Amino acid sequence: MTELLTRTGVDGTVVPAPAAVEPDRPEEAAAASRTRSRSWRALTRGRGLVGLVLLGLVVLAGLLAPVLSPWDPLQQVPGANLLRPGGDHLLGTDQVNRDVWSRTLHGIRADLVVLAVGVPLGALAGSLLALLGTLSGVVDVAVQRLFDLLLSFPTLVFAIALTAVIGPGTWTVVTVIAVLETPVFGRVLRSAVLTVTAQPYVEASVAMGAPRRWVLRRHVLPNARDPLAVQLALSLSLAVFVEGAMSFLGIGVRPPAPSLGSLISDGIGYAESNVAYVVAPLVVVVVVVLGLQLVAQALGRAARGVR
Amino acid sequence: MTRLDRRTFLAATGAGLATTLLTLPGCRSAVEQASAGPAGGPTHGGRIAAGILTDLVPANFFTNSSLGVTTVVGLAFESLIRYPNDTVEPTPRLATSWELAEDGLALTLELRRGVLFHNGREFTSADVESSIRAYADPRWNGQLRRTAAAITFFDTSEPYRVTLGFEHPLGNVFDLLDTVPVVDAGSLEQLATGEAFVGTGPFKVTSWEPGTAITFDRHEGYWVPERPYADGVDVRVITDATSLLSSLRSGQIQLANGLSYLDLDNLPSDAFEVLTAEGAEQQLYVGTDVTAGSLADVRLRRAIAYAVDRQRVVDEVLRGGGYPINLPWPRYSSAFDEARNERYARDVAAARALVAELGEIETIPYTYPVGNPLVEATAAIVQADLAEVGITVELDPIDQAQFTKRLIGAELEGIWTTFHSWAQYTPSTLTVSAYPFNAAKNASNYRSEEYAEHADAAWRIPDGAGPEAVEAYGEVSEDLLEALFLIELAVVLPRYGISRRLSGVDWTKRNEILLTDAYLGGG
Repeated sequence: MTELLTRTGVDGTVVPAPAAVEPDRPEEAAAASRTRSRSWRALTRGRGLVGLVLLGLVVLAGLLAPVLSPWDPLQQVPGANLLRPGGDHLLGTDQVNRDVWSRTLHGIRADLVVLAVGVPLGALAGSLLALLGTLSGVVDVAVQRLFDLLLSFPTLVFAIALTAVIGPGTWTVVTVIAVLETPVFGRVLRSAVLTVTAQPYVEASVAMGAPRRWVLRRHVLPNARDPLAVQLALSLSLAVFVEGAMSFLGIGVRPPAPSLGSLISDGIGYAESNVAYVVAPLVVVVVVVLGLQLVAQALGRAARGVR
Repeated sequence: MTRLDRRTFLAATGAGLATTLLTLPGCRSAVEQASAGPAGGPTHGGRIAAGILTDLVPANFFTNSSLGVTTVVGLAFESLIRYPNDTVEPTPRLATSWELAEDGLALTLELRRGVLFHNGREFTSADVESSIRAYADPRWNGQLRRTAAAITFFDTSEPYRVTLGFEHPLGNVFDLLDTVPVVDAGSLEQLATGEAFVGTGPFKVTSWEPGTAITFDRHEGYWVPERPYADGVDVRVITDATSLLSSLRSGQIQLANGLSYLDLDNLPSDAFEVLTAEGAEQQLYVGTDVTAGSLADVRLRRAIAYAVDRQRVVDEVLRGGGYPINLPWPRYSSAFDEARNERYARDVAAARALVAELGEIETIPYTYPVGNPLVEATAAIVQADLAEVGITVELDPIDQAQFTKRLIGAELEGIWTTFHSWAQYTPSTLTVSAYPFNAAKNASNYRSEEYAEHADAAWRIPDGAGPEAVEAYGEVSEDLLEALFLIELAVVLPRYGISRRLSGVDWTKRNEILLTDAYLGGG
């Protein structure tokens, strides 16, 4: 892979002047526009639209949590122990008299922070490492072995080990997700780079002396965008599970702050008294994961040219 | 593949149904297997199925630290004497009588004859010595180790009599004799690895599958005639409380140890009963590291003591299964004093005034073991109570094993919440033995010559229940209330969920379930 991205010509001579090989810009722009339009179409109709609407509803609920919550999520209301839904408490109260509706809305916010930071961080780190691997074969091998090492850890084992070192909390969850997503995105991008750089038009560009950075920017990265977008949607849905699992095990978001995982974990033990305590955050998780999966499917189909 | 035609399908279904109907009457549950006794009386036979939340850890055999350990000790082992659940007056068990020397420095015990270990060997005075010496060995971490170590002389020259010589008078020696399980001297090494559990109890351990089950069979050579009633006990380790509840409700087990108080409250009373283990009290508390920042100032510890809403913890967390306390002693203890027990009744204004005197207080870490709903809910309530008076704490839930290690090592910083025990015994036992209170070394890093002197003095009074001892306990109680290195919240009464088909369940003061007199077939 790396040979194709150097500035060395096919005969071994150094090729000068990228200006001499400036490509046909209108054609490139048109190709990029076609890709964008295909993705846009996928997201504005069918399963993509349904996914976006579901996600939008949850994101909106999270963003508007302070407005939509009638109670402070940490407030313990005197005498309101494990109330069932109704009256002043739309989804009832928990074992220490806190409003479940307000805690669920604020739990969404906690998850949004984790997802919005953890997965993009992992995507960025993975992509940069994958691109770093294009510099030389040795670096590529080192990066791939690092990815192998990270992928060899089961998610929860890694999460528990990291928590033992740095303690539980939101940023621990973010770190776990970012670290575990790094090799996933790194492998996806590397695979895309390998595929694209083997294309004749890329080889031709290199043979004509196009600089590495130009080839990456013009040919490789635009063509790797679709698989990365699909992976981003998939990783976001997996990250919801990671947060949920970590909080369920008591090593996630630090109490008393609510998160969807910790609400489910706590609510299970009290389902008989207030079933909404566990069902409400569970429904939100299902909606988020379903929405992200539908978006991922729509983008995947669009990338493959399937209508 | 051959297609199944309609006729063949109907014939096969009919044959299956007929077979099922014919064989059903032949299937008998454990309850039905128990032979009927006299009308309304106990029945013999059958196997009792029980469920517990935590498995056995052989290395912790002498620590009472898990339901697995207490289950094995209760069913397969016995002690020399036994306290009734509501007093600390010894009654005979493997020792039939005893005599304390006038100077309080020696105790002679007459041992029961004809008691057999599960391996068929007869119990003698040598087993008493080896068991107490094992308990005193630091490797086993027994909490009464200091008392066991104060027994410096053993006369075992006669097989059915043993004389124990003490370094100094021991007011709590019977607590030790009630606590130490008598183990076959030859199997101690195997006990440490979980290969053998050889005692003299009514049931013998026949198999242990770590994390899954412990199986007990009836000890045919048991010294109590006609006991136990059941042929055996199958204990399942069910680490999830919801699954434990489901197992009890579906009839897979007849006894559940480890259910939440809320789940116990919700059990239908026509099919189940809830046993409250009076006498096996535990205490829920807030511990403090008196060397950590602002906590070094006793005014902050007093502010915490005034701020916490103990009654709410009892009502909403324990569901009435306990009562609020300022001192560790249960109501029947000789050290219990009503006035002292109410010294720090909830007073938000007093707490705020103390906080105002102190000025700026740093955020205090608040550690507790994760996974116990009682502790988790209590921590949330305490955090809110402290916030109300201006004390900010940061919750720090950690793994139970890590928590225990840090507690024993006095490495917890800030404040913490968990349970302690041993206040249901002779009061001096608590202050010379239990990790949170031990005057020599405690989890709070609290050192006070006065407290150590008072604790030691109470311990050395030969009659641990006499008026002299009661006065000494009063001084210890004052020390505890003044120093407040440990802020008591509530006495907690352990509870078990039992099927109404199971009768005769009992327990010890250490929350060990006893099934010697238990039988199936009721309800």
